[in-house]
Amino acid sequence: MAPLIEARDLTKRYGSHVALDRANLSVEAGRIVGLIGPNGAGKTSALRAILGLTHYEGHLTVLGREPFRQRTELMQDACFIADVAVLPSWLRVDQAIDFVAGVHPKFRRDRAVGFLAKTQIAGKRRMRELSKGMKTQVHLALTMAIDAKLLVLDEPTLGLDILARRAFYDALVNDYMDETRTILITTHQVEEVENLLTDIIFIDKGHIVLDSSLEDAATRFVAVAVGSDRLEAARTHKPFYERHILGKTVLYFDNADRDLLSGFGELHTPSVSDLFVAKLSGGAA
Amino acid sequence: MNTNMWLIRREFWENRAIWMIPVVFGGLLIVAALFGQISIPTLTSPKVNREFAQVFLVIIGFLFYTVMSVYATWYLLDCLYADRKDRSILFWKSLPLSDAKTVLNKLAVGLVIIPLVYFVAADVTALLTAFILSVRARSSIGGALWQADLWWQIQVLWMYAIVTTAVWFLPVAGWLLVVSAWAKRAVMLWAVLPPLVLYLIERVFFGTHVVAHLLAKRLLGLPAVALKGSGGQSWSVSGTGDASTLNYPTSVWDFIDVRGFFTNPHTLIGAAIGVVLIFAAIQLRIRRTEI
Repeated sequence: MAPLIEARDLTKRYGSHVALDRANLSVEAGRIVGLIGPNGAGKTSALRAILGLTHYEGHLTVLGREPFRQRTELMQDACFIADVAVLPSWLRVDQAIDFVAGVHPKFRRDRAVGFLAKTQIAGKRRMRELSKGMKTQVHLALTMAIDAKLLVLDEPTLGLDILARRAFYDALVNDYMDETRTILITTHQVEEVENLLTDIIFIDKGHIVLDSSLEDAATRFVAVAVGSDRLEAARTHKPFYERHILGKTVLYFDNADRDLLSGFGELHTPSVSDLFVAKLSGGAA
Repeated sequence: MNTNMWLIRREFWENRAIWMIPVVFGGLLIVAALFGQISIPTLTSPKVNREFAQVFLVIIGFLFYTVMSVYATWYLLDCLYADRKDRSILFWKSLPLSDAKTVLNKLAVGLVIIPLVYFVAADVTALLTAFILSVRARSSIGGALWQADLWWQIQVLWMYAIVTTAVWFLPVAGWLLVVSAWAKRAVMLWAVLPPLVLYLIERVFFGTHVVAHLLAKRLLGLPAVALKGSGGQSWSVSGTGDASTLNYPTSVWDFIDVRGFFTNPHTLIGAAIGVVLIFAAIQLRIRRTEI
């Protein structure tokens, strides 16, 4: 099966600034993919290109369509939540449901109403009267009621407190995700999503640093904590990143021989956040 | 309901001023009719009665048309800018609605729907104030203001005004949409500044007034193009004090100039420029997202 999203040499320039530099990535159906990078890495540019909101150079197909030319058709099968601020302040909750039901052929009204019934949000409230957390719930209710193949979330929990964030991701995983759907999330807060993801794409300074499933990453990357006496010996196996903690040095290896490394200490699989720091700092060193 | 109907409804949700301004304005006129001091000229003959009723209906229509022009201008200037400013454009663009459809519906609201709302408001206001004045005056004025055929003629005039206004001001509306889709801030300034700069450049460097003339013709020239007799001869008010004489054409059909309007090169060239500008506004809407 062809990938749901496929980008080859995807480039986005703003004047002389190159936000995305010949990026290659692919996303398969049924995955939850985290597009992770520091602020200004090109995450938003990549998403804007994927959603057809901006012009780009290079080859890009999303759900078999060319996003910039076919945004309207694409939005039948893809939907996105940019961040909590974007529901217009004058819109009432019931109007939002009416409107989306009116213009979106794949919107299932009963699902949106059912989801909102579980919250404390009244239909006559305007967005400007709702807290950020409530607005996110409304947006999520609208989005989850659409039978879309691809859901794109751009920093969806920005500015939310911990309770609202948890509620957001719980709803997403429990009420929405199934094998027919694909979710692409960007965030600069890795810890928040790492338990959710099946795939990770690291992006830095417009380049894709890593595009891998978590299973592959777990077999590929390994970390080992080494005492100072054996550090030089361990370094000969070419770690790509080192981190000093409590008198020990944690070395990160990519595609190394595990049998050889196990002699230096206990091996462990780095968490997504550790890997992120390691890849991004290591790449520069 | 189809998508276009939803897009138009959404404009009413967002811009409640579309109906609130004419309702409040009509309400004020009705209050004025109810409690204002009225001094009605002595009406001596059916002919004078009729002229009085005509003036009355035309003045009400003119007042509403003027308020409508100001509001519609503001609406067109704001409609593509507001959702970029508050970033809600990202929500609208997450729905399967093409940018062309969005822009054209907003254009239709500005040029057709808003005028229709004002037309209805003007009608209701005219009927109610005529009724109130008739009751209050308890004189021949009562009968004078109820002239069914005049009322029908005013409906025709309104419809004609809405159609010709929409066509004549297409380039102006297109320009306002371009600014609205493009400007990062100060839409009002950006709408006015480029024509002003063009005018000044022309004046300083060439000493001519072509731009000023074209702008004046576009902004003020509609009556001259749409009505017969260059807008001045059929309509005249002469005399002073209480001895004024009003000369009107007897029927609306005698002074609307449908054929003249639609064959006038100014109408056609203007409409063509309008189409180009609207196309440009759609392209900007596709490319520009947030501010």
